[in-house]
Amino acid sequence: MHILLVDDETEFLELMTKRLDRRNFQVSTAANGADALKLLAGTPVDVVVLDVRMPGMDGIETLKHIKKLTPATEVILLTGHANMEVALEGMTQGAFDYLLKPVAINDLIFKIQDAAKKSGKTT
Amino acid sequence: MAGFFRALGKLFGGSKPEPASPAELEALRAAYRARCESFRRLLAANNAALDVMASMEEALRGLKPFGMTFVRGQCARVAANVFQIVRQLSLLTSGRFDALYDKLKEIQARIAPHLAPRSGQVRGPLVLPLEQAGVDLADEVGGKVASLGEVARRLGRRIPPGFAITASGYQRFMAAADLQPEIDRRIQAADASRLDEVFALSSALRSLILAAALPQDLEEAILASYRDLEARTGPGVRVALRSSAIGEDALGASFAGQYHTELNVPAEEVLSTYKEIVASKYGVTAMTYRLTRGIPDEDVAMCVGCMAMVGALAGGVAYSRDPLDIRAGRVVINAVAGLPKAVVDGSFDPDVFVVERGEPMVLARAEIAAKPRKYVCDPVEGIALVEVPEDEAQAPSLSEAQALEVAALARDLEEFYGLPQDMEFALAPDGGIVLLQSRPLHQTEAAQAATPAAPQNAPAEPDVLVSGGTTASPGVGCGPVCVVKKDADALSFPQGAVLVAAQAHPRWAPLLSRAAAVVCEAGSAAGHLANVAREYGVPALLGVSGALERLAGAGDVTVDADNRRVHAGRVEALLENRPAPRNLMEGSPVHAALTAACEHIVPLHLINPDAPEFAPGHCRTLHDITRFCHELSVREMYLAGNDGLEGFSKQLTSGKSKLKYWVIDLEDGFKEQVTGRFVDIGQIASGPMLALWRGMVAVPWAGPPAADAKGFLSVVAGAACNPELDPTMATTFAVKNYFMISREFCNLQSRFGFHFCTVEAQAGDDPQENYVSFQFKGGAADLSRRVRRARLVAELLEERDFRVEVREDALFARLEGFDKAATLDRVAVLGYVVIHTRQLDMAMANDGLIASLRDKMDKDLNGLLTATGLSAK
Repeated sequence: MHILLVDDETEFLELMTKRLDRRNFQVSTAANGADALKLLAGTPVDVVVLDVRMPGMDGIETLKHIKKLTPATEVILLTGHANMEVALEGMTQGAFDYLLKPVAINDLIFKIQDAAKKSGKTT
Repeated sequence: MAGFFRALGKLFGGSKPEPASPAELEALRAAYRARCESFRRLLAANNAALDVMASMEEALRGLKPFGMTFVRGQCARVAANVFQIVRQLSLLTSGRFDALYDKLKEIQARIAPHLAPRSGQVRGPLVLPLEQAGVDLADEVGGKVASLGEVARRLGRRIPPGFAITASGYQRFMAAADLQPEIDRRIQAADASRLDEVFALSSALRSLILAAALPQDLEEAILASYRDLEARTGPGVRVALRSSAIGEDALGASFAGQYHTELNVPAEEVLSTYKEIVASKYGVTAMTYRLTRGIPDEDVAMCVGCMAMVGALAGGVAYSRDPLDIRAGRVVINAVAGLPKAVVDGSFDPDVFVVERGEPMVLARAEIAAKPRKYVCDPVEGIALVEVPEDEAQAPSLSEAQALEVAALARDLEEFYGLPQDMEFALAPDGGIVLLQSRPLHQTEAAQAATPAAPQNAPAEPDVLVSGGTTASPGVGCGPVCVVKKDADALSFPQGAVLVAAQAHPRWAPLLSRAAAVVCEAGSAAGHLANVAREYGVPALLGVSGALERLAGAGDVTVDADNRRVHAGRVEALLENRPAPRNLMEGSPVHAALTAACEHIVPLHLINPDAPEFAPGHCRTLHDITRFCHELSVREMYLAGNDGLEGFSKQLTSGKSKLKYWVIDLEDGFKEQVTGRFVDIGQIASGPMLALWRGMVAVPWAGPPAADAKGFLSVVAGAACNPELDPTMATTFAVKNYFMISREFCNLQSRFGFHFCTVEAQAGDDPQENYVSFQFKGGAADLSRRVRRARLVAELLEERDFRVEVREDALFARLEGFDKAATLDRVAVLGYVVIHTRQLDMAMANDGLIASLRDKMDKDLNGLLTATGLSAK
């Protein structure tokens, strides 16, 4: 299964990549929305784990583009900035779910697996 | 959907079976699977939403501190989950209830104002001259600087020349560096209940602020004000920078000593020192304090007073009333030679002058201490501690006339503010008294003045370990002794321990929210630690000599602060009359925000599913929406379809008995193709369902345990004697139990009278994907019995490797990563628990009964285990 992690926090990307790698996920990373879209244009991805607050294009904007570009790709929002309004906006724009940091790695993996099921990939 | 049901009816043996084409068949299977997925996701979101609501309700009781990040986080979580619920119901019902989306948005809009930061964006000047500052500008300059400015402006008293860097200046700094969002993010990521994380967070936040650049306009404003100050005082004038926070004063809070003050700062360090003081907002003591008092982080603006250094001949602190006896008509002055710093931080004994009020004031007592050292301004070190000649060391720091002048100033300030004051002053080289700061005196409980004197020498009673000292905070507390000497000790300080330290140092204040009592060898009732202890209602005994030596390793002790004794062990007689723990959060802005948000989230108005009000238009809270969607989705999945066909569920049978259980097969949960409306337990292939069933039927249910008369509500009493309540028996009682299964997966929704529970399990060959989760809530007995039942179940499950959380009467348990056999064993455990705890709440009044029930259940559970070796500890 191919996962794309989008976050401007490099520490977070490194840590998550290491942990997901260990669970046999194929992981790509992007540090901002624009890079994520570039990557998605060329590579099929099952699930995107997307930060909400990023410099440049924010997570909600990026989500809208992803849903236009590859509607079958499921997007999980994962944010360090809890905001009820943004949560609902993200869900309305088609996010598979909205999670808050810090997230237990097992919870994130269950969520990714569930999202992958929906996008048609089960293993 | 009607067509879909008709087609399914054909497919799975409805009333008019007709052959379906393979393509039709495949499309139907896919649609069916999608509906099952939607239902499963709805249930998961339903449970998650209820979990969040339970945690919010629990937080409202205020026993554990929480900040705005918690409130915002839980609101966002619950909203996202409720959206998920509405979305999945929409998929299940072809959008029949999409009006719920608007309801959800309406409710969100009603909650939003309570979550917004309250500190309005002030747009005032970035800096202000001190003499222009006054209480009317307290929102700009903070309480400390405002009262100083007020004294100069209205009373014409002497204060050091200087200026204030305002709240606008602070916000300009935070905005320019975009600091607040990053600070909020880091606070959200940290676990505030763990001290080591708070220490790490504090250090990270302070570095963040120190590393941020000051915006140019603020920098220029500060430097220009400094040049003005130079023009008035002299080139290169040294300054003192003092914090003056806004947003904490509302609670009459005792935050003295939490923030930074920097003395004798040279011109070139003014800007960096300003940042240091702003950063001190995130000191461990200050952060913990805000959290425990429910003060929103973003509401606190750090204003900074910047004043020319007074080359003090002497200085100190004056209390306009005796802090230990507020009603006595005395002014108490503590003073030293040199800078007043030594008095403020308690580094050595000061002279004490006691002045009797009256016309005229009279110096009643002067206790002159030996002061072999003093603090002076030093061009290199800022301030330095220097030795003084012998004769000077013995000399009084203030003359009688000066002491009376200081006392008069203290009295005038009290009169001016209408409150007893605690003021810091300096004696200028020209002999004049300069006021450095003044704030309301934090008052001590009057009761303690009447405390009888305790024996100071060897304790008479055999169980008394130490006695004596001063009651700094009244009450009785019990717990294991934890001696704290350095920060590392603080990190491992256990919840409910008795804090024992050499000095009542302010840096132990963060421990008070978890301490049962405090005992220190040194320290006074007027100190910061004592203030915080009183605020938190933690009994504290200070000035107990020999405490460290006699209490270290003593295990459990009972601290009787009222009688100034520490007893070995738990002394129940003393603990009996202890007041209930104080709700620290009550009345705080954070608590108010949560209360207001919860009003739109937690209350349930849609109680009766058969009432006409059970409709989207009547949903007023997120709980209403959740309840509505759950009920409707269950109807959609399990009950009659709108064209009169049974849904996709089949009723479970065991031989000839029809059971009150319905089963939905997600894909491969049956051993064979099953036609008709029934499926027999022998046809089930789902591992987790069979394991669950094994636990449910292993021990026949003997009916509810004998309960005391009060425990039973009549509504259940009749039903409880009904032998048909056995799960393996057919019954007419309103029990609703639904299984959703595949070969490796099982979800059970069980409703038994007032008792709801969910079991979900995945048990396959990959341990990393295996999990078991369990949730239950409700019951018919009163809350305290239901809570006790939840705790009993929690213990049983924890001993069998579950992670368990109990919130009020709700229980959430989870376990993951075990191999298939071990996972199935734990599923069987839950099967037993589901059946045998149903009406346990009725019996939960009696401790003896609880213990014997627990033993029986423990034995039964161990009997359920197969060879996989559940660790029965």
